[in-house]
Amino acid sequence: MGAPDIPPRGIEHELAERFDAGTLRAQATADRVPTFWVQPERLLEVLRYLKRDAPGPYPMLYDLSALDERTRVHRDGQPASDFTLVYQLVSFARNADLRLKVPLTGDAPSVPSATTLWPAANWYEREVWDLFGVRFAGHPHLRRILMAPTWQGHPLRKDHPARATEMGEYRLPADKELAEQEALRFRPEDWGMRRRTDASDFLFLNLGPNHPSVHGVFRIVLQLDGEEIVDAVPDIGYHHRGAEKMAERQSWHKFIPYTDRIDYLGGSMNNLPYLLAVERLAGIEVPDRAKVIRVMVCELFRIASHLVFYGTFAQDVGALSPVFFMFTDRERVFDIVEAITGGRMHPEWFRIGGVAQDLPRGWDALVREFVRYLPPRLRDYDRMVLRNRILQRRTRGIGAYTTAEAIEWGVTGPGLRACGCDWDLRKRRPYAGYDQFEFDVPLGRNGDSYDRCAVRAEEIRQSLRIVEQCLENMPQGDYKADHPLAAPPRKERTLHDIETLINHFLAASWGPVIPPGEAYAAVEATKGLTGYYLVSDGGTAPYRARIRTPSFPHLQMIPLICRGLMIPDLIAILGSIDFVMADVDR
Amino acid sequence: MLENYFPVLMFIAVGLVLGGVLLAVGRILAPHKPDPKKLSPYECGFEAFEDARMKFDVRYYLVAILFILFDLEIAFLFPWAVVIPDIGFFGYAAMMVFLAILVVGFVYEWKKGALEWE
Amino acid sequence: MNELVATLAGYSSAWFGPQWGPPVWVFVKTLVLILVITLPLFGCVAYLTLAERKIIGYMQVRIGPNRVGPAGLLQPIADAVKLMFKELIIPAGANKFLFVLAPMLTLMPALAAWAVIPFGPEVVLADVDAGLLYVMAITSMGVYGVIIAGWASNSTMGFALVCVLLVSQSLNLSDIVNGQARGRFAAEGLNFLSWNWLPLLPMFLVYFISAVAETNRAPFDVAEGESEIVAGFHVEYSGMTFAVFFLGEYANMILVSALATIMFLGGWLPPIDAPLLNAIPGFFWLVLKIGFLLFCFLWFRATFPRYRYDQIMRLGWKVFIPLTIVWLVLVAAWMQTPWNPWQ
Repeated sequence: MGAPDIPPRGIEHELAERFDAGTLRAQATADRVPTFWVQPERLLEVLRYLKRDAPGPYPMLYDLSALDERTRVHRDGQPASDFTLVYQLVSFARNADLRLKVPLTGDAPSVPSATTLWPAANWYEREVWDLFGVRFAGHPHLRRILMAPTWQGHPLRKDHPARATEMGEYRLPADKELAEQEALRFRPEDWGMRRRTDASDFLFLNLGPNHPSVHGVFRIVLQLDGEEIVDAVPDIGYHHRGAEKMAERQSWHKFIPYTDRIDYLGGSMNNLPYLLAVERLAGIEVPDRAKVIRVMVCELFRIASHLVFYGTFAQDVGALSPVFFMFTDRERVFDIVEAITGGRMHPEWFRIGGVAQDLPRGWDALVREFVRYLPPRLRDYDRMVLRNRILQRRTRGIGAYTTAEAIEWGVTGPGLRACGCDWDLRKRRPYAGYDQFEFDVPLGRNGDSYDRCAVRAEEIRQSLRIVEQCLENMPQGDYKADHPLAAPPRKERTLHDIETLINHFLAASWGPVIPPGEAYAAVEATKGLTGYYLVSDGGTAPYRARIRTPSFPHLQMIPLICRGLMIPDLIAILGSIDFVMADVDR
Repeated sequence: MLENYFPVLMFIAVGLVLGGVLLAVGRILAPHKPDPKKLSPYECGFEAFEDARMKFDVRYYLVAILFILFDLEIAFLFPWAVVIPDIGFFGYAAMMVFLAILVVGFVYEWKKGALEWE
Repeated sequence: MNELVATLAGYSSAWFGPQWGPPVWVFVKTLVLILVITLPLFGCVAYLTLAERKIIGYMQVRIGPNRVGPAGLLQPIADAVKLMFKELIIPAGANKFLFVLAPMLTLMPALAAWAVIPFGPEVVLADVDAGLLYVMAITSMGVYGVIIAGWASNSTMGFALVCVLLVSQSLNLSDIVNGQARGRFAAEGLNFLSWNWLPLLPMFLVYFISAVAETNRAPFDVAEGESEIVAGFHVEYSGMTFAVFFLGEYANMILVSALATIMFLGGWLPPIDAPLLNAIPGFFWLVLKIGFLLFCFLWFRATFPRYRYDQIMRLGWKVFIPLTIVWLVLVAAWMQTPWNPWQ
């Protein structure tokens, strides 16, 4: 994808030429992503330059979040700030990320909204408003998105309680219940929608949160003209569990189980971006055997997750049987996962510096049998699902978007590759040893629901290839790094004398103390790019853990791709996106 | 002849009565404890936005009329089909004219887009 | 048997007098016969649901119900009892009368049509001449209520049946069955090749597909699409109101299968004219053929994704209706030629 006109030097030189030192200030981070502080007044100007005018531009607003800096100790050389906004942009031409940080002071800060530049900024800004209380001037609908509309306070502020016991007893008397229900009532006028035109009355319809096809608790309010969807307003937050807030009170080690439950179909694969970021901060090098074990387990989970997708997608389009076959096969994946990790859906098995245990005896026979078993089944499924004429008619051309639209809205993963954009993080920026494996990146052409399914179906085969390579080439060696910050501490270093005993006790109860710094790491997860942006203040827990999930922007795009279609098409689109609500609401 | 139809008439009556009896059985055996929440119509966990009895698109009526036309047409075709060997080519040709008129109307409605749904 | 009937008729005259006796006797006799048809039909519906759950279960690597009774055989009974004791909920704002009437109107035609269905030679409650016309008329009532997607299929079924009439020259269902016992292949003993399904194959397929659509079954089940509208109007109906709807819909499935059997698959006729097969009662063959068609209903449901609403409309109005009209014209023209195979 490299365009010839990009200067070989980094973006920092372009920015230095274009903007004076008072506007932009560089900051070094552990992940070596170019990071700049920019004053709020100049923010839009810099963003516009980076998106449109810079050589090798940054067309994707990949993430937008914030952190409450008021209690942070280690801020060496950073501008004064109470709340810091963090924008992360992606350049496909440069194959590089860029981070912009905006310092804000005061209790009710405000910045200009970026929604005019990126429509995808809409939800991100609402989330920052919801969780941090930062206002975005010019935002069309700045209202809560993850928390209930009646919520008091902004939960990710450091002075907001984190535990139920700090908040007083929860009661729901009848009048409060009514008020909560009333607060959730949808008023078309609030969203700039008309109830009727001269030609027709619109019907407003709730789809979800209790609906079998929204894959969890997800609500979409539809504006219908007869059978046709005029507009849609997705409403999320019903599955919000405050994972990012919880991270701030768990030890680095104890947060691992929470990550399993973000994309709950991805299991151990969720551990990986978190651990990569932690390991980056701590400077831990993971041994080869641990790397390959991690890759193998991750790919097994990709297969499991894609099988669920494949079956439920077919079911959303009305085919009742495939889901049973695919869940049966997923059980086989889980049997292997169980033999290796002891867990099934959420093994919480990866560790800082490696994995929890070495592979059990006989693991290779299990994996080998599965690698042989699945391909013929996949051929059957293709006949059953992808080559079914009714399914093709129901999904071809439905919910299509172009590569440009996908990038504009922050779509990653199979949804992006279905448009024909060859962008797989495992190939583009190999992490965790993926450069050692041979596999293809399946691509679609039309970016429609059918292609999204076809891409995933092929990805199952590619994952099988990777698993097979892990099987044939499993290196010898340690399953965990020999590093003081790797957790839990190694048994042989303990129980010798009182010093090692105390060390072990502290390491096991508090966990490692990760050096201060900031690091981001992403993986090509089951549903797109999942990334963890971790800020350590030199403590036993993350100061801030930002979880960038792929499903969040994918859902934001729904109104764009369902207008003018019918409800069954919307159901097919929802199925083709492959989201789980925990991955959206966290 | 007509007494052959008596069982038919009775079957219709019994069909209705049986439905009524089954509903009555449910009404007698089942508990009956209505409360406002139970009785309220709902949409996926929320109160319904508005009354579902609203204006229908005119297309539905167009298709409805077409359906009735075809159903009537079939009622005419039934006896014709039964006696076709007796009425010969003239009978055949007469029905073809009749069918042609129907098809013209059908084609007109098709071309007008009454059968389009998007 | 005849003596018993005569005795009973005698009792009736003795009890109600010579003027009222015979009508009362006819009334009682008809009522008993109707119940003899409907009650086993209810049983068939009950066990059709079990068959559906079992067969689709096995197609989906599941076992299906297996807890109530041996191999789950009492499951439908348990379901029926449960439905009887379930509260009837009539949503506020619904028109109570129409709400309760709707399931009854679904059930009535599905039952009443059986009046003219022959179960074997001479075994029919009302052997009327316009039997098919009656069936078409009464089942048309059923489609008004639910969804207009069924409308095109109703007309398509009508045209397909007209083709059968063209070759049978009778509206009497028994005559139509008997008509299928004649023909070149039947003369050689290969009965099943003389049945209407072969010479009218396109019409048979169109009829059966339309039948699937008219009964709101997969892949045309948009009125009850689970993934889209969460079973549709069934959500609002509970307990026996739901049960009556359910009975009506399944009785309809059996009815259209029976009709397809009579019109296209030779009714109660054995497939091959062999003494051994002829010895088996015709009723068995009828049930076997209906069972096969019902199996197809279940098979479709386990196999196909769901059509979209407008796709069904297009299929019905733009494919099947033109196709059936053209085929009708062709068959009628064929009848005018000397190469008419049905003479």
